[in-house]
Amino acid sequence: MTIQPSPLSHADALDLAPLYVLGALEDAEMAAVREHLATCPESHDEFEELGGVVPYLLESPDIEIVEPSAALGDRIMAAAAADLAERTAAERTTPATAAERTAPVPFPSADERTARAERTRNRPGPLAWIAAIAAVIAIAVLGVWNVRLQGQVNDLEQQATAAEQYRTAVTTVLDVAAQPGSQTALLAPQTTGGPRGIASVASDGSVQFAMQDLAPTSGSQVYETWAILPNSNPVPLGSFTVDASGVASFTSKQGPVGPGMAVAVSREPQAGATAPTEVVSVGVASTPAS
Amino acid sequence: MTDRDGGLSGRVASSTDDADRDVLARVSNGELDALQDLYDRYRTMAYSIALRITADASLAEDVVQDAFLGAWRNAARYVEGRGSVKTWLLSIVHHRAIDAVRRRRPTSELPEAEAPPPPALTLPDVWKEVAGNLDREAIAAALATLSVVQREAIELAYFGGLTQVEIADRTGAPLGTVKSRVRLGLLAMRAELTGEAADAGEADTQ
Repeated sequence: MTIQPSPLSHADALDLAPLYVLGALEDAEMAAVREHLATCPESHDEFEELGGVVPYLLESPDIEIVEPSAALGDRIMAAAAADLAERTAAERTTPATAAERTAPVPFPSADERTARAERTRNRPGPLAWIAAIAAVIAIAVLGVWNVRLQGQVNDLEQQATAAEQYRTAVTTVLDVAAQPGSQTALLAPQTTGGPRGIASVASDGSVQFAMQDLAPTSGSQVYETWAILPNSNPVPLGSFTVDASGVASFTSKQGPVGPGMAVAVSREPQAGATAPTEVVSVGVASTPAS
Repeated sequence: MTDRDGGLSGRVASSTDDADRDVLARVSNGELDALQDLYDRYRTMAYSIALRITADASLAEDVVQDAFLGAWRNAARYVEGRGSVKTWLLSIVHHRAIDAVRRRRPTSELPEAEAPPPPALTLPDVWKEVAGNLDREAIAAALATLSVVQREAIELAYFGGLTQVEIADRTGAPLGTVKSRVRLGLLAMRAELTGEAADAGEADTQ
């Protein structure tokens, strides 16, 4: 049913108060009540009386206490680290002093990207991070990961050349993944349709990447690879360029290795970046279960 | 295993709130170890709430990740005086979990496509907690004052993500009855909690 966005009377708003404070109205009704609260000069004590109780429902003893998996914390910290890396990179390009750090970042592209990502997150439909998490969960066990990868490879067979290149690149990654002490990450796009791929971190800290759906580079543009350890700044691992195939197979130089590490690919105006400008794909490395 | 009561047992309210606000201030400053600290404090509560609402371990982890990243990016939007950091954070978890189950529900009356993005990161301004941090016994006592039908309506709304119309359909009660059950239930909880709060204030710490 459709509810007209006509203004609510004060009595109507009070009538909806109990369900409003629980968030249990249709979206149009929620919006109408919000609008009423913002504009009506009369008393709305009833809303506070009812709403003040609601937070305690979250501490109901009926809620069974369950610990999340240890990997969840690692994923959150890696995602936050990647987010921070972008912010830091944007700040470093400003001539601002440390005291002016809180000023708006003057990099419209990065700024807009963050804003867009935030809006996307709130909208119904697949969310970028949920996709990333789903991908990471999928590789938690090597068996699952192999099945998934095989499916990924099969799907690509119709797209002849680029697919063949990517497949070769993935095979190279698999060779690294098969070695003892290596960790593997599925890299998920930061925006819908963005680049994705797979990478294996060898025990010596070098990383083998296979990436697809990368926008081709031109001029001095490069893609830079990064190792991100929890609570540390991203460490650059070397850069590569991409042709129209959108596929890259890349062996990085040696970088840091540790539990909960993430690997990322960023797009840079030129080689030699010391902090990522725009992370386009990121994934958390995990050791396949035996 | 963690002590079953560990995550939700009562705390000395003021010192916890102060420490939380310090941590959140560092989070808004972009300090990763502060986020880790915040996560360590509330991961169990956050995950337990998300799991209760979604009944899906994988989706619950997605919700918790989404909520903590939202807190990481929007810590500066926390408004002191409108509720504790804990309430702010857990309300984000709740909101995202409800959002997730409503999206997942196949035959919802919600207009899927044109639904406006919910204001997920601000605590509703009607949420002025009545009594600060309360222990589980106080909250259990407040819940115990509800009738079965009041509690059912509140739980379908708050943990099931159902709208008032859907609750009426589900329970077979008229819409007006659903409203009054929720209203009377919340008022009964309030009376019990504010009474408890006065007692706890007398006893100071416990």
